[in-house]
Amino acid sequence: MSGGGGGGKPRPPPDPIAVMRGHRAPVMDACFHPSRPLLFSGAHGGGAGVYSVATNFAIGNKVVSQGRDGTCKCWEIEEAGLSRKPLVTFRTNSYHFCKISLVKSASCSSQSSKAIPASERIVESDYSINELEENKKNGVSKESIRFSDVNCAERSQAHLKDFSTMGERKLMALAGEDSSMVEIWDLATAKKLMRFPQTSNVDAASHPTMQRGMCMAIQAFIPSESGCSLNLLSGYEDGSMLWWDIRKPSLPLSTVRYHSETVLSLAVDGTCSGGISGSADNKIVMFSLDHRMGTCTMRKEISLERSGIAGTAIRGDNKIAATAGWDHRVRIYDYRKGNPLAILKYHSASCNAVAFSADSKLMASCSEDTTVALWELYPPKGTS
Amino acid sequence: MSAPEISVVLPKDGERNCWKNAFYRGSAFPALSRILLYNVASKWLADFPKLARKQVYDSFFVEGPTTEIVQALVPSLKQKGSTKDDFNVICSNIERLLMLCLLENEGVRLMVGEFGLLDEQDNNILKPDKVTFISRISQLLSSIPDKVRLRASSALSSHSFFRRVANQLLTGAEERAVQLNCNAIPDAAFLFVGETFSHVCRRGSIDVIVAEVIPRILSLVQSFLSSNANLVVPDVINSNPKSHFWLNMVEAIKDQYAVEKFSEEMLRQLASTSISDVEVYWILWILFSKNFKFGSFVRGMFVDKFLLWKVFPLCCLRWILQFAVFECPPNSDAQMEGRKTPHFLNSLQLLISIWSRREFVQSSSMEQQAYLTAAVGLCLERISKEELDATKDALSNILQGVSCRLESPIDLVRRMASSIALVFSKVVDPKNPLYLDDNCCEPVDWEFGMLPQRKQIAAASHNEDENKSKLFLREDRKSASDEKKQRVIKHKSAENNALIQELADPDENRNPVEVNGEHFSGEEDDDDSSDSSLKPYDLSDDDTDLQRKFSQLGDIAAALRKHDDPDGVEKALDAAEKLIRASPDELSHNSGDLVKALVHVRCSDVAMEGEEDSAEEKRQKALVALLVTCPFESLDVMTKMLYSSNIDVGQRILIIDIMTEAAQELCNTKVVKREQKQGELVSAVSQPWYIPSSRGPPGAGPWKEVSEPGTFLSWSHRYEREIPSRPGQTKAGKSRKWSLGKAKDLQVEWSQNRFPLYAAAFMLPAMQGFDKRKHGVDLLNRDFIVLGKLIYMLGVCMKCMAMHPEASALAPALLDMIRSRDVSNHAEAYVRRSVLFAASCILIALHPTYVASSLIEGNQEISGGLEWIRTWALHVSEADPDTECASMALTCLQLHAEMALQTSRALEAADQFKAQTRTLPPKLDNIIIPFSSTKF
Repeated sequence: MSGGGGGGKPRPPPDPIAVMRGHRAPVMDACFHPSRPLLFSGAHGGGAGVYSVATNFAIGNKVVSQGRDGTCKCWEIEEAGLSRKPLVTFRTNSYHFCKISLVKSASCSSQSSKAIPASERIVESDYSINELEENKKNGVSKESIRFSDVNCAERSQAHLKDFSTMGERKLMALAGEDSSMVEIWDLATAKKLMRFPQTSNVDAASHPTMQRGMCMAIQAFIPSESGCSLNLLSGYEDGSMLWWDIRKPSLPLSTVRYHSETVLSLAVDGTCSGGISGSADNKIVMFSLDHRMGTCTMRKEISLERSGIAGTAIRGDNKIAATAGWDHRVRIYDYRKGNPLAILKYHSASCNAVAFSADSKLMASCSEDTTVALWELYPPKGTS
Repeated sequence: MSAPEISVVLPKDGERNCWKNAFYRGSAFPALSRILLYNVASKWLADFPKLARKQVYDSFFVEGPTTEIVQALVPSLKQKGSTKDDFNVICSNIERLLMLCLLENEGVRLMVGEFGLLDEQDNNILKPDKVTFISRISQLLSSIPDKVRLRASSALSSHSFFRRVANQLLTGAEERAVQLNCNAIPDAAFLFVGETFSHVCRRGSIDVIVAEVIPRILSLVQSFLSSNANLVVPDVINSNPKSHFWLNMVEAIKDQYAVEKFSEEMLRQLASTSISDVEVYWILWILFSKNFKFGSFVRGMFVDKFLLWKVFPLCCLRWILQFAVFECPPNSDAQMEGRKTPHFLNSLQLLISIWSRREFVQSSSMEQQAYLTAAVGLCLERISKEELDATKDALSNILQGVSCRLESPIDLVRRMASSIALVFSKVVDPKNPLYLDDNCCEPVDWEFGMLPQRKQIAAASHNEDENKSKLFLREDRKSASDEKKQRVIKHKSAENNALIQELADPDENRNPVEVNGEHFSGEEDDDDSSDSSLKPYDLSDDDTDLQRKFSQLGDIAAALRKHDDPDGVEKALDAAEKLIRASPDELSHNSGDLVKALVHVRCSDVAMEGEEDSAEEKRQKALVALLVTCPFESLDVMTKMLYSSNIDVGQRILIIDIMTEAAQELCNTKVVKREQKQGELVSAVSQPWYIPSSRGPPGAGPWKEVSEPGTFLSWSHRYEREIPSRPGQTKAGKSRKWSLGKAKDLQVEWSQNRFPLYAAAFMLPAMQGFDKRKHGVDLLNRDFIVLGKLIYMLGVCMKCMAMHPEASALAPALLDMIRSRDVSNHAEAYVRRSVLFAASCILIALHPTYVASSLIEGNQEISGGLEWIRTWALHVSEADPDTECASMALTCLQLHAEMALQTSRALEAADQFKAQTRTLPPKLDNIIIPFSSTKF
């Protein structure tokens, strides 16, 4: 990747620096280990597999995987791969298309990106061994993974204690048994703590959220402002996006409908003051969250030639955002300005997810073509 | 000769006339003239001084009454003299006298006057003997150009002679008309003029007369028009004595044939001038109106002959309609509405009923069809809805005519139908015109590119027709895809909007950032650096990679069946040909499936607007590729489908087209064959030990032995091979190798024509069921286009295996098919053309020796079939109404003659052989070659 010539012809878009071909089924999700040079990916095909994988600082040296079999599993990360058996298995009884979300903390992520030393590049062979083992062991493939780091968790505990009772726990958000509900699970105890909207059984069916169809995308986060309670963004089948505060589980803080089709992916930036959403329509929306007012406003709408954004991600330093499109392309945007930076053509089938490494150096894109590609884009200044 | 003094008493004028009459009309004149013409002329006239000849000899004839002179002079032209020289002298003298009397002295004009006088003497009673006399004189007069010798003066050639005669006749008749002043018709003078005209006409020179008539009558009409502005009333014309002459002129021509020719020639000559419609109308009116009103013949001539049997240029058609059908001057449209004659509707009905007949469409020539269509169309333009309703059958006849034309394989015929349909729809509902095809434009072009240039029709070739019929099918499909088009257009516009938005975005994006600037306030220190580091890459994007790639034949077949996924079908079509041409191993298993899928694809539904043709082409190419790469399996399915009832005519035609193309391609295939390596029969290993191993960089060519230059014996083998250049390496220029040895033969061998191998599979199943009538299959009647195409295809097949033994095996079957009455005498010219084509192909394809041997062996199938081709082609060339058929039949006959010649040569060779060996059975000694008489 060259630094970029002056005027004249723009540089051609870069090629992936590595491609991982360990999977035999469409790769549904991928996530980087928050501190170690590890990448977890989950493939799902033929009715079995991992639909999403997740890990982050908050849950320790573990990774959570979600299948389409009504379970989520939490795995210990060991020296030579994952634990033979999952630490915890949750029976969520959910059979939907919504990927799980771990809690993204504003303070945590901003610290972590600075705290983690420059990690070594992930080598392809390492990765694929790891992945294959995992597949063999589980007999399932993964769908989405998010990591959390022990250190960071410890560090953020100080904050969390001040928050509501949820704060110190390792939490996970997912669409529930009733797929229009969002549920919060405790990873340690494998228990369901809450659900949104919180309603009495009587008016459950008539609650406005119920009319929005299935919940298709969730992002849980703890903003540093506004009392630091757990917040949730959830996207629905009808294109609407709801912003929940855990303290007010019955009604969303804000309801917006930027998309005309199902919201497929949501990502919140490191400061938790905004985010990006992708949907089945031909739009990408960048929005900002005003915590004081509790409002969500559209910052930028990007129209696409070909519709369908299955995954979005914002890099830890909030400079660039990536989208994984059904049109086989990964698109890179300047997160602040919203202007397009690159169209990455490598995959030969629709892309399912994109993920940035915690040190902002790498990006992984996973696709139906059973590959995961690693990209090196606009490396942060300090490291390049 | 010395002139003795002679005292002459000059008689008085009256007395003199009396004497003159007595002399010329008596029996003395013929006798004297005979002496003068034969004896004097041949012996002494040459010795006369010029003046004496003129004064004495010539004046004898010049002074006399022209009728008598003509009677004396003209018959003498043919009487043989004693010797040839005598005859020449006599004839040249007579010719000179004729020129003198008739042309220089305006004897013809005088003759008209003589007849007038004659008439007055007899009190205008036309006795039969007078009529015969007039007729005889006019006949003599008109026969002069034919009787004179070849070397006679050009003034007596028919063109110039008749021109001057006509001039004099007209002048004379005009004078006579003034004398008569509207009375006393019929008049002998007119009768003479008319008779002369008809005789001239019978001698084929009516054009000269018409050319003389037109300027005269035109100036007359123009004088009327200029004096009366636009209010030319028949009465004004009637009152003019000059016009009176013309009013009676045509009546005086008693010969109907001459009248017809005269009118026809008149119209054609008028068409070549730049004359206004009004003028022509009044010319026709002056000439024919009298007869038109009272004589059924002239009416019949205009309404029947000129509209139904002849073909005139379009402007003439307008004049004819104006005069004979509308019966009003062209500038008085408003008046006409009120008074449409009953004749008008009758004529229209007649026209429509003939126009709508299927037989007319099938059997009349193309220009005739165009002409009648134009006539119907021009009439329909003048009619109102009420009138149309009033005419019985007209409505249903029009619909029937339109529908049977729309089925025609010939584009022009369909265009005629759509033109009539347009005019008709405007009669029924002026606000809602019906456009049957896109080319239909508002002022309909009734000429159809046919009427003025009359010679070009025959040039339309078989191929053109094919294209036309393809076009027709496509057009049919087009209408079905209209909805789809609209959808596509909508979709496109939506996309465009999106594009515009995306383009516009970069300009807009400042505002949101500024508005939401507060969110990023904490990071402002980074901003400059981030701006420069986030330099966009090349953002150009195309969707080539998104197009589905087909790598399996099975996928293609599956995608083609998904009609609800037009993109998939389109891409499958894109990929199909290439994949099939690659000829993978599984092709033979998938071919049947693919054939079915491809035939059933509806290209028009799938393709984007405007790309139907390319989709269609891809489909056809893919099918051709299938037939070529995998003939037997594909043909098996395809020929079964050809007669199955669940495909439509378009698909049947598609199949036949495909087979045609495939046959041609197979015929021209070039197969690359590796040269067989010699001397490796014993080798157990695929590669002999002395050849270097084939290891090397990928892309390296095979090893080739290099012969040592200069020596025949080589102790070592030398090999070389081509190696692809290394990545960085560039070739500079071309290298040439010179060697002493002969240039080695090419390693590849071109083997032509693979078709004969598959010919039977192509032809036999296709010939099997053509005459069966099933549900949806009726080749002999309704689907005659399919039949025509089928026969054409079979012809092409024959041609593709010309001179191969297979041709001889298959020819009898094809002959059998085309000989059947239903096929060879099909009502549609399209089918007959195909049959002629197929017959010609058979003639080309059969090897002469085979024909010869089949004759020797008494093979009835072949000899009878070939003889049938000859007789049938002869018949067609003589009697077929379709000009194209006739010309094709002539070509066929020519080919037959050539084949006969070749065969007779082969037979001669066989005879020699027979003489040497005497092994042939004795019964075959007397073979009659059935076509030996047909040499061209």
